[in-house]
Amino acid sequence: MKLQYKLDPESNLALGLTEGEEVWYCVPLDLKLHPNEMTAVSEFADKQWFVVTTKRLVVLENGRLLSAFDLKDCEKVKCEHQIYSGIVTVFGKDGSKTAAARFSMRQITRVAYVARGAQNIITAMEENRPVEDRDRVISRENEKYCEKCNRALPGTSKCPYCDGKADVLKKFLALCGEFVGKFLMISVMMVLASGIDLLNPMIQKDFVDHTLTTGNGTARELVIFIAITFTLLVVRLGLGFYRYWCCVKLGASISMSLRKKLYYKIQVLSLSFINNRRPGELMNRVSRDTRQIREFMEEVFGDMFSTLLTMIVALVMMFSISVKMTLLSLVFVLVVVVITRVFWHHIHTIFHRQWLKFDDLNSNLQDILAGMRIVKCFGQEERESKKFTQKTREFAQIQRRNETFWAVFFPILSFLMGAGTYVAVWFGGLDVLQGDMTIGQLLQFITYTGYLFGPLNWMTHMPRMIMQMITSLNRIYDVLDEEPLLADKADCKEFPIQGAFSFRKVSFGYQTYEPVLENVTFDVKPGEMIGLVGASGTGKSTLINLIMRLYDVDQGSITLDGVDLRDIKREALHSQIGVVLQETFLFSGSILANIKFAKPDATLEEVIQAAKAANAHDFICKTPDGYNTYVGEHGYNLSGGERQRIAIARAILNNPRILILDEATSALDTESEFLIQQALDRLIQGRTTFAIAHRLSTLRGADRLVVIDKHGIAEIGTHNELLEQKGIYYGLVNAQLKMSADSGSAQ
Amino acid sequence: MMHDMENAGPNLLDLEELDEEALKRESEEVLEMRFLNAGNSRFHRTGGGFLALKVGEKEYDRVGVYLTFPLTNPEEYISIREADEKAKEIGLIQNLKDLPKDQQEMIQEQIRLRYFMPVIRKVLDVKDEYGYAYWHVVTDFGSCRFTTHMGGDAVVNISGDRYQITDIDGNRYELPDLYALTVMERKKLDLFI
Repeated sequence: MKLQYKLDPESNLALGLTEGEEVWYCVPLDLKLHPNEMTAVSEFADKQWFVVTTKRLVVLENGRLLSAFDLKDCEKVKCEHQIYSGIVTVFGKDGSKTAAARFSMRQITRVAYVARGAQNIITAMEENRPVEDRDRVISRENEKYCEKCNRALPGTSKCPYCDGKADVLKKFLALCGEFVGKFLMISVMMVLASGIDLLNPMIQKDFVDHTLTTGNGTARELVIFIAITFTLLVVRLGLGFYRYWCCVKLGASISMSLRKKLYYKIQVLSLSFINNRRPGELMNRVSRDTRQIREFMEEVFGDMFSTLLTMIVALVMMFSISVKMTLLSLVFVLVVVVITRVFWHHIHTIFHRQWLKFDDLNSNLQDILAGMRIVKCFGQEERESKKFTQKTREFAQIQRRNETFWAVFFPILSFLMGAGTYVAVWFGGLDVLQGDMTIGQLLQFITYTGYLFGPLNWMTHMPRMIMQMITSLNRIYDVLDEEPLLADKADCKEFPIQGAFSFRKVSFGYQTYEPVLENVTFDVKPGEMIGLVGASGTGKSTLINLIMRLYDVDQGSITLDGVDLRDIKREALHSQIGVVLQETFLFSGSILANIKFAKPDATLEEVIQAAKAANAHDFICKTPDGYNTYVGEHGYNLSGGERQRIAIARAILNNPRILILDEATSALDTESEFLIQQALDRLIQGRTTFAIAHRLSTLRGADRLVVIDKHGIAEIGTHNELLEQKGIYYGLVNAQLKMSADSGSAQ
Repeated sequence: MMHDMENAGPNLLDLEELDEEALKRESEEVLEMRFLNAGNSRFHRTGGGFLALKVGEKEYDRVGVYLTFPLTNPEEYISIREADEKAKEIGLIQNLKDLPKDQQEMIQEQIRLRYFMPVIRKVLDVKDEYGYAYWHVVTDFGSCRFTTHMGGDAVVNISGDRYQITDIDGNRYELPDLYALTVMERKKLDLFI
């Protein structure tokens, strides 16, 4: 995402850079700030700018300086998400808060990056050091619109209409290189098929002119003619079938090859890449976009060239027979193309509307069926069924109208297509009567017109189909070309972990404009158990995601045994971390396979040991298939507690140096929690452990507790220290004691 | 050691008191309907373009204005909240009209600062191309171009003839009455409605 636009000369002058001052960020704004004239800048034209230099934060409007803040006097610059818009708030060192700029959602991500950049400069100033290049914020996010043509980008980095087209086709051709033999084969088929198509009318003509109309043809000649045409027909059919088969094979291999690459790439890419996309979008790229390419290869590619070839040669032949008639037919072709285009647009619209209505109807039905119990509870059956009747009636109306239209329109279209032949017959017939043309030639001509008109309709859809394929290709190559954000550097290290963590001013947010953690700083000694406490949504799980390096920090650093996490080989890191997450995910497969997931070469003895430690061994033994028990998708045929125990066994099998427990025992009953807690207490010995729990009793073994509140660490210390502090933790402990006492007395 | 973090947040619980009482008080505070009116509160503009509030003895140097029924009753039950992350409710304004004129204006200003929901007055052009629709409309904020996805929830019928349009950036546009548009304009929306 571009963060440094070029200012127009007028604005540049108004900005008035002083010596040694550099523009680091410059992004457009699209809403006016002044409360009394808050109008959108017409058509989002670039007239307002939000600029951050190495010294100042400046807002420019129409080449005038609207406001400027000296970053030295600022404490904080924040991009605040409003309702379908955002503002930049500047917090002065004197306690003032100023709304500096305002913008729509279109610019919010960009502005959020710049606000973060401004914050970096402020931090550098506070640390009394010059701002350096490493303070500069760089966005790796894709733009949403093409800069050249202003079209929306379909989630790609390059516009499929501008730069992307040639680029992607080149890559696609390279991919096709692997299948050169098949391509050659298909090309030969295509030329042969076209040849036969074009040969047929010539033979017909010859037969008509030299046998039928001469008056002295024999039955033998008739047999020969039938034999030849029949053979050609059979060969043509065979060729067509074989070509289609080749195309299907080619399409399948190409889409398989792409799918394989995509799947591998997605596995390698970071979670943030996956999370940045809407759920299902990546799935679409793997399944739908590759299918699109397969279909294109099967249905369009094979016919495209042969049809074009046939059409061109047919046209040449027509011209050679009669220039006048050909030109007349061409005029007619134009008329038909225009008419069908217009009508197709209309048809597309009305059927799209029908589809929308159907969709609406369906979702309504689904809504009601899913919420049946609520509808009945509130006695609203009458009203809901009335609503539904209304909707089906509307749908039926549209459907009826559309079908009627179709029934009328289609014959008209066929008539128009056929009408070209009448024109040809009229003029050609005149020529034949005058002796300027033979009957055979006329027949030949008419057949060629058929070749020209037949695929016309199909050809008008060609640009759309090609564009669709290019878009799909673009979306696929976009993923394939994505550099893994968390790629291991060439010089990254691999070493046995001791487990000393150190957080230095760590900031992170899943969305640029919504920070989850800000400026988190603390140290963890090897073997220490840290309990993470705080209300939901405060960033406890996020902190754990960062420790596991599922995401990279936006700012600051996390070091493990003195080495930055980003410099540790990811595989080495992950093989030494054991994780039990809040939502226990089990793969479909046996319990054994699930426990062995982290360490596929574990012995059976090790598996049993881990299961025993997790208090899972007993219940596994009681199942008929023991450790071979099949676990359905997501582990749905096990209870929550059983799944959690398997997950714990999975986590400890590897004998990890670092243990992460995110609500690891939340789904357990008190007795098994007690048992597992004991197992965990044993496990925790000598391992660095991070544990999240709402039930504070779960954390009683923790060496230190970290209370997270308002995006940062609010309190840190041992249980007793925090109780003495009488802060948030004290409040939480009291509230839980009170609740358990209440429920105790109520029972 | 590392206590340099945000330790100075507002006191969640008054822990000098008996905790039970504090908890009860807090839950009661959440339930209580506190109305702000000309008698008990006074708004004023800050230099930075925000709104400050004085309720009784308590002063807030910045408050947030939240519409509770932004689409149907934008001037009723406006929730005034603290400006920090927790956004605790200070009180409700039952009806904006009951406040003095100058106070109304200030709140309207804040609403305009916080909410950006242009109302579509005129549809100039809607073009669909490969899965996206490109709109050119005139809104109460002036002429504007935006892009939506083709299917999905881009255009949603909220009630009767009222529609809501969300573009790919997440901006929201409102079409209060479909039938206030001309026939030609409605035809352009055929693909969605």
